[in-house]
Amino acid sequence: MSTDYVPAMTFHPQPQPGTPSPWAFPAPERAALGNGITVLHCHRPGQQLVAVEVLLDAPLAAEPEGLDGIAAILARALSEGTDTLSAEEFAGELERAGATLDAHADHPCIRVSLEVPASRLQRGLSLLADALRAPALPEAEIERLVANRLDEIVHEQANPARRAAKALYAELFDAADRLSRPRSGTADTVKSIDRAAVKAFYEAHVRPATSTVVVVGDLTGVDLPALLESTLGTWKGAAAEAAAHAPVTGDDHGRVVIVDRPGSVQTQVLIGRIGPDRHDPVWAAQSLGTYCLGGTLTSRLDRVLREEKGYTYGVRAFAQPLRSAADGSGRSLIAISGSVDTASTAPALADTWTILRTLAAEGLTDAERDEAVQFLVGVAPLKYETAGSVAGTLADQVEQHLADDYQAEVYRQLAELPTAAATEAVVAAFPPDRLVTVLVGDAAVIADDVRALGIGEVTVVS
Amino acid sequence: MANPAPASSRGIAITEHRLANGLRVVLSEDHLTPVAAVCLWYDVGSRHEVKGRTGLAHLFEHLMFQGSANVSNNGHFELVQGAGGSLNGTTSFERTNYFETMPAHQLELALWLEADRMGSLLAALDDTSMENQRDVVKNERRQRYDNVPYGTAFEKLTALSFPDGHPYHHTPIGSMADLDAATLEDARTFFRTYYAPNNAVLSVVGDIDPEQTIAWVEKYFGTIPAHDGKQPPRSGELPDTIGREIREEIHEDVPSRALMAAYRLPHDGTREADAADLALTILGSGESSRLYNRLVRRDRTAVAAGFGLLRLAGAPSLGWLDVKTSGDATLAQIDAAVDEELARFAAEGPTPEELERAQAQIEREWLDRLTTVAGRADELCRYAVLFGDPKLLNDALPKVLDVTAEEVRAVAEARIHPDNRAVLAYEPTAAEAEAETATATESAADADADSDAASEEEGAAV
Repeated sequence: MSTDYVPAMTFHPQPQPGTPSPWAFPAPERAALGNGITVLHCHRPGQQLVAVEVLLDAPLAAEPEGLDGIAAILARALSEGTDTLSAEEFAGELERAGATLDAHADHPCIRVSLEVPASRLQRGLSLLADALRAPALPEAEIERLVANRLDEIVHEQANPARRAAKALYAELFDAADRLSRPRSGTADTVKSIDRAAVKAFYEAHVRPATSTVVVVGDLTGVDLPALLESTLGTWKGAAAEAAAHAPVTGDDHGRVVIVDRPGSVQTQVLIGRIGPDRHDPVWAAQSLGTYCLGGTLTSRLDRVLREEKGYTYGVRAFAQPLRSAADGSGRSLIAISGSVDTASTAPALADTWTILRTLAAEGLTDAERDEAVQFLVGVAPLKYETAGSVAGTLADQVEQHLADDYQAEVYRQLAELPTAAATEAVVAAFPPDRLVTVLVGDAAVIADDVRALGIGEVTVVS
Repeated sequence: MANPAPASSRGIAITEHRLANGLRVVLSEDHLTPVAAVCLWYDVGSRHEVKGRTGLAHLFEHLMFQGSANVSNNGHFELVQGAGGSLNGTTSFERTNYFETMPAHQLELALWLEADRMGSLLAALDDTSMENQRDVVKNERRQRYDNVPYGTAFEKLTALSFPDGHPYHHTPIGSMADLDAATLEDARTFFRTYYAPNNAVLSVVGDIDPEQTIAWVEKYFGTIPAHDGKQPPRSGELPDTIGREIREEIHEDVPSRALMAAYRLPHDGTREADAADLALTILGSGESSRLYNRLVRRDRTAVAAGFGLLRLAGAPSLGWLDVKTSGDATLAQIDAAVDEELARFAAEGPTPEELERAQAQIEREWLDRLTTVAGRADELCRYAVLFGDPKLLNDALPKVLDVTAEEVRAVAEARIHPDNRAVLAYEPTAAEAEAETATATESAADADADSDAASEEEGAAV
């Protein structure tokens, strides 16, 4: 403390909160279009940017053998022209509507996201419908998308965080499981993708009967059923069964993989294992406990690694659903992620294991639990201020086969969870002897010290 | 088909107040969601730093979270998050901002916290905080700049664009040597010089009672003394154009060739800056832009090609070109194609369709920024600090929509040409044989990994 300083201001006691306004996670309404599309919609007054999320039942596990990445190429190709517009014209029409259209392929499905001002919702939906109903999938554009994807792979290889994620997935999951392999394919698989294969994948997996559309925003004066029927409702396709998802198999016995990146001034750290399906009743308690471990700057990890030791700009713990099934047979990735300066690599890992062991031995405190619940529940009205964030969570629930009131129910559960339940869940989620540690950094500098930590057998790969 | 404009231009309600100590206060009431945003801009940024102390404004911003007379180390984070709020701070060339978004009934707490550190930071600031946050900031620099490919491009181009000794010659993150050299006394002096109510603007936006809010602001901030220790920043004035091309070749271990450039453009707040924004949007924003169509779609020499605008009020703005080559394409090919497109645009100007699309895109970006209470609070501070009047916010979009095609062409002809730019030409050094064949996009752990090459801000947390 500097003692020569006397503030000149008048101090007042810390204020007490006023009366909270009631808030609940918005409940969507459900409908179905004549062509079988499932619709969830939600009116959010004042949200002039309408968010539309489409889920297409084209999981990565359905990609033909040897063509990993074809779903990602198809997702991008959907906005490369239609039966009436060239690729350049389609991009121009979207921008004229002040809209954005993004699509990406992940393990459960292809997600297409449209954002458009409410005044131009009809134009946006018409373009979206054309992209889904009649994508031109032009040969020249597919060739370009393949070439661009090959370029991007080279860039991703140079990015330490991406390299760490790639190595962790390869290490954790059985080689036969699609989860073990890069979502957007490898150079070997991507270069084999052509227009015929993309077209065949589209025809086999993209159809209205297995698609869901989420619409959120200020829908004042919008006749949504009629608007959807006149746009997305014009898409015709045969009935189909929803894709089945295989159980996840993998091996998360404790071990360390160092991906050598000579000259790195930091080590990218990714410590992970296979976690439960989001349907598991432990999920809410696990979220609470994981937040206490590494959700923010004042959580246990950053309190030491950042705010006491200065090893890092920030380390986070999280759980991410990978595949989800109503019977609970899906799985998530549970992980700790961040980067530390090279010299602090082994000390930071040693501290991390100490934090985990202390947590297992002593548990969370009631004060930690209370502050975390206050944050996780209290921040909801901010987190869901925009149409896009509400639509994203509703779409996640559909994608993961969760009930429409799942998120609202999680908030109710969190408010009542005892400290012991959060402790038990986070300790079960992060067992110190069952964590796979991936380090992307300068192996010559860090490997010996990491071996000496005894956190698992160390392998160096390049 | 009609292209109805969004209902965005009706403007937001704004009231202004000034305390006796000089603190300017801007309020905007909106009861759609039970949340309130508090934003505080201090009129100090990296342009106020002196030689040998680059990075001090940003390092100081971190210290603002380390406690004050009535708030413990990191108490700011604990109290705000424990109240269900979110918070952060950022530092740019021209200002430092601090913000909290709170559930509406917790607004008073955020005001109390901001007042406590504005009036009494030095009561808590000590060597322990200084040493710790110095390490944290150095790791922030490593993570965001030094350990990622092209990570130092922004810093290098800025240094080329603004001559040695110019207040914008260095970026807010600062150099490692200067971060090491900063002393506790430097930080104290910085606070005494720049952190005063008469050098700040406070905005409060959302579900608020304006009379009650002003009463709280008066109660907590009203007794903090004004002081006039601040020196104005050195002049950032430069000639309108550079008059030549400044070019530097970089041989680094990067994944592909890249051409990056910064064009000297009109100051923010002028009609010419809006015209330049439209020109850059037409030339290089989105998938219907001229450079994307030319380089990515037609020539297939680039995997990414785009323009961005870094708006600066106290110095010329920068138009930011970023092209990453595809396959074996050379920088000579990129150079020739870019210059051909720039010359054609300067001669012909935009088509009516291009101008309409660019205006619709900028309109959507505005809607997006103003859709949250936090976004509105930040923009109100921006107009108050940089341009003297928060109500200018409501004129901003109409002004962009008023710009004519001839004005867009004229600014392109005058400014967006080879003799008015600094260029970085990247040639990779790594042997290609080392490149691996199998790589991946994994989204799991790298949400924060993508470094924005033209990011002007440094954050305090994550």
